[in-house]
Amino acid sequence: MEHQKSRMGYTLCMLTLFICGAVLFLIGFFPASYTASEAENSIPNDRPTTIHGVRLETPPPSYDSLILFLVDALREDFASATSMPVAFSRACEKLTLHVDIPTVTMPRLKSITTGTLSNFIDIALNVGHTEQLEDSLLHRLKQRNRIVSFAGDHTWINLFPSEFTRHAENNDSFFVNDFYEGDRNVTRVLESELELKDWSLLILHYLGLDHIGHVEGNASPKVQHKLKEMDEALQKILDHRNFPNYLVLLTGDHGMAEGGGHGGNTPAETLVPLYLYSKNCSRPSSGSKRYNQIDLAPTLAVLLSVEIPSQSIGCLIPEMLQSLSLEHEMYAYFYNAQHLLNKARVKFGHETVRRSDYYTWYQNATLLHRQLLLPLRDGDGSGASQVLYQNAKLNYIRMAREISGLLSESLVRFDYGFIVLGLSLTTATSLHIVLSVLFLDLTEQLQLDRLKTRQLLICLATASLLNVASHVLDIIFTSSMFYGILLVVPLALSIYLTFDVAQALLKVALPPLYTRRLKLSIPLPLPLLMCFGIRTFTLGSSSFIEFEYKTWYYLGNTLILLTALRTLRRRITKANVELDGRHLHKIASACLWQQRKIFVVLILLTLMRYLHRFHAIRSTLLLFSLMLLWARLRKFAQLPQSCASAAACLVVYCFRGLNGQVQFFELPSYLTSRLMVPTLVVFWCCLALVLVLGYRAALPQTLFDKRFGEKPMPPKSVLLQLLQANLTSSLLLAALLQKVQNVILLPTLLIALDETYKLCDAFGTSARKFSVRLLHVYKIIMTIFVSRMFYFYQGNSNSLSTIDLTPGYIGQTSYNPAIVGLFVTLNTYSAEIHSFLYLIVHTLRSDLRSVGIMQLQPPYSVAADSLIAPLYASLVMLPAAFYLCLMVGFRYHLFIYSVFSPKVLYDCYTVLVFYFVFVITTLYFKLFKRDA
Amino acid sequence: MVSRFDQQKTKHQLFHVSLSLATILICMTYMQYRRNWAYLGNFWDSLVVPIVFIGELLKVVLARFYGRIEDGVLTIKQRQKKAAYFTARELAGGFTLQFLCTLLYAFICIILGAPVLGNYEETFVLSLLMTLLTVSPTVFLLGGGGALQVCFCEKPDFVTKCEDTALNLFKYNALGGILGAWAGSVVAPLDWGRDWQVYPIPNIIGALLGSAMGNIYACTHVLYATARVYMTKKRA
Repeated sequence: MEHQKSRMGYTLCMLTLFICGAVLFLIGFFPASYTASEAENSIPNDRPTTIHGVRLETPPPSYDSLILFLVDALREDFASATSMPVAFSRACEKLTLHVDIPTVTMPRLKSITTGTLSNFIDIALNVGHTEQLEDSLLHRLKQRNRIVSFAGDHTWINLFPSEFTRHAENNDSFFVNDFYEGDRNVTRVLESELELKDWSLLILHYLGLDHIGHVEGNASPKVQHKLKEMDEALQKILDHRNFPNYLVLLTGDHGMAEGGGHGGNTPAETLVPLYLYSKNCSRPSSGSKRYNQIDLAPTLAVLLSVEIPSQSIGCLIPEMLQSLSLEHEMYAYFYNAQHLLNKARVKFGHETVRRSDYYTWYQNATLLHRQLLLPLRDGDGSGASQVLYQNAKLNYIRMAREISGLLSESLVRFDYGFIVLGLSLTTATSLHIVLSVLFLDLTEQLQLDRLKTRQLLICLATASLLNVASHVLDIIFTSSMFYGILLVVPLALSIYLTFDVAQALLKVALPPLYTRRLKLSIPLPLPLLMCFGIRTFTLGSSSFIEFEYKTWYYLGNTLILLTALRTLRRRITKANVELDGRHLHKIASACLWQQRKIFVVLILLTLMRYLHRFHAIRSTLLLFSLMLLWARLRKFAQLPQSCASAAACLVVYCFRGLNGQVQFFELPSYLTSRLMVPTLVVFWCCLALVLVLGYRAALPQTLFDKRFGEKPMPPKSVLLQLLQANLTSSLLLAALLQKVQNVILLPTLLIALDETYKLCDAFGTSARKFSVRLLHVYKIIMTIFVSRMFYFYQGNSNSLSTIDLTPGYIGQTSYNPAIVGLFVTLNTYSAEIHSFLYLIVHTLRSDLRSVGIMQLQPPYSVAADSLIAPLYASLVMLPAAFYLCLMVGFRYHLFIYSVFSPKVLYDCYTVLVFYFVFVITTLYFKLFKRDA
Repeated sequence: MVSRFDQQKTKHQLFHVSLSLATILICMTYMQYRRNWAYLGNFWDSLVVPIVFIGELLKVVLARFYGRIEDGVLTIKQRQKKAAYFTARELAGGFTLQFLCTLLYAFICIILGAPVLGNYEETFVLSLLMTLLTVSPTVFLLGGGGALQVCFCEKPDFVTKCEDTALNLFKYNALGGILGAWAGSVVAPLDWGRDWQVYPIPNIIGALLGSAMGNIYACTHVLYATARVYMTKKRA
């Protein structure tokens, strides 16, 4: 009667489709290049030559040499009088720049050079490869054969492979362990360039500060040291002789968050200083004004006397134009205003522009400008009216502001076709799997978990018809025939799934009269359902997303506490039945003592919240946690394997000791750096040994049979042993990668899961009617909650700035995206990966005889692939699908890019990580489970 | 199932519910009068705990008052229980039970996110309030041992009819209080920046409102049952 077919294959299909849907959605939501479709050609590239009939001449460059002194992650308060005395005291102007999100390097460089806002998805490209730009300040300089020199971050070379006359870049900008070497090279280039003095623009990009922030945080003493170094480099420029006419800009590409990362939307990350230095600064700097980072590009273009990059939507920074003559200054304003007006015409249409306020301002400004020009041309300039000048300038500035604001708002463009397709695919998939898990009878009836060829064919036909029809009707545009045909596949699949879901929902809502109502095949206890519902629906609030960890801590602890108290009460009541009220307090205290462990776990879970404060005792903590981890791992292993894992743990401590993060023998520094690599090699050897010893079980059994005369192991236990070996080695690897004080989380996770499972067992068995499925549901939901809690204990959040990049470079001497990605993922998602693996292992190895359930049909462990995996997958997918739907509703929300978008990336990535873990687990099930 | 229109019981229930609601109304009025809610977490500065305490005591007195009528028809066990009410043992037991309960609530508060180091007074006040709303009435009514038995036995035989009525209503009160205090935390992560979002103000208010909700729910039940009886009577 019981339906115990393995449903790994079906779940895998659903997960794959979900991932595809999510990818489609993301492509639609964050279009990679929105400017491609825009008709850029209609904007004249050349500089204007006349204004209302008066001829204008283009001004020459106003400075002989311009230096862009870019310090990565220089936030506003770093450039203060104490930390950078020279930079602070000698600055002509102290301005503040507002940086747009995402606050990571590559999009920011694009903003500085092209003057346009960058796309949110650039952040993903920031880590990997970068596309080349088509037009920028540097392209324009190259057209004019001006010499541009560059030193620093490699990202510039990816963006501008051929635009620099000379470049000396660091080899790898993502190798965060390099604090000093790269910067020293940049300063060396600076010295030689100062002697050469043939360039008109010199770009210096110092990365050390950013790296220190990533590795050691913003409060590290090295930060002050680094700032001093930057100060000295700047002083070198300022004090250099024979430099008559220069302008130095000191700025940062983005700020640094509390904790050292960046990528988010806090003021610490989005505000950077812009300090200007020139020989003859006329006025002392007044109060700090705030401009946008995109304003740099047009201003620099004007100062260098080149065309403004065609994509630029910034305004001019008036403080930077003070050295220009009156006529040239007015020309600059006029040029940028015209450029922006042309952009606005393309974007909003001529008619809208003509009726707008800013067009009137523009008209006024140009007329005033013309009036101003005539006396300037005639006389010596004294005749120029100050009133006219101020008035024209004011009009120019306010119209530029207005258009710039409008243009930056209108840059958002969604591809609704992809969004609809992705959304229907994800929603249909998650509903499909939820329905098929909830209603087993229905699954049987409709064959939900099998591929129905006929239905698929019909769907394909419908999809192609739909596709052709919408192509004919011009609802869908595709760039090539191939894409058009490819579109049929997701279309057909989503129609197929939607059809299934609709059919199933109909059956659930309207049961035919002659049969009984469809019954849920798994029990859904109210508290679990409620907590899960709350967790899902709070995704709609931006503050709940920002503080998502609070939700998880609260709900997770509530669930455990509630289950513990209910179990306690049931136990006391049960024990009390015969005694009839006598010795009640003795029974109560005895039962309470029985459950002491779960309360200890609760206290542990509370303590983990304050993990970041345990920094002072980290050596002891690391030692203790490694021992605890080893003690936990010993449960899964025989003697040789646990010896190997003990060695691995020891090596982890040695490695941290060599790094100077925990107390260790005092070693000379040359020895430390030489020992580092052998230590890691030893670690990998130990890990390999653990794996090999674990995998020995899967070797052909005959070999062992002959030698030792053992009985061949049952296949289930082979599978179990392999999964245990995987879990052990991945835990050991995580121990190497985790931050020092976070290693304690690994054994605590295992303990917490173990105790929670025991609690669930006790809860299940103390019920009046025992149900295995109830037990499974409880364990799955508890696992999800505990794993998410540990995910946040580790310091993760929904902001991109908390991704810890350091573990990606352990044992690496260069930047290898695959390995760094793998390590960072393993570190970030270690709680989720390990708890899923542990759940499977627990299900396979647990036997309920210990809690008093003797005979169980079907056996408990069978549920691993028929119930646990699909249900877990559906519970991972359902909130993600819900969140994607929410995103569409919130697409014009104020916080869409700062709060909701990072979360959607995190969510999709969580599903992806789960997908990979799931694929591997499924593979093992398929290969080694031969008893079914 | 109400088969007979039990006027005495209904009266007791309605009085009980109105007492609870009045207590909470007085609390709310007091809070409105004080304007600034920051004092709510202080033990010596807030009148909420004493008001709730008096309210619970009054409810017990009410139950005793209605229980007086049944005095003639008590079983031996019930008589014994009644006689032992004011002994030192029972009093000590009741006090210990309440104290332990306060500790348990404080533990739960900390597990669910109250600051571990600091805010002790606030946590103490919150857990005292929770104890007063949940455990204390039962303890006042039946003594320490009796309360334990009611909690953990299927159907203790020493409980009189009138006490049973009161216990039923206490249950609504307690459940509402717990759920309200639990749900009160919902405002904690919101970024409204109000001064009443600080722990434990939302939880205290949530507990009070929750118990009010529980009482209103109980009240509708009683009224519905009465109305049904009334209708059937009229029809007959």
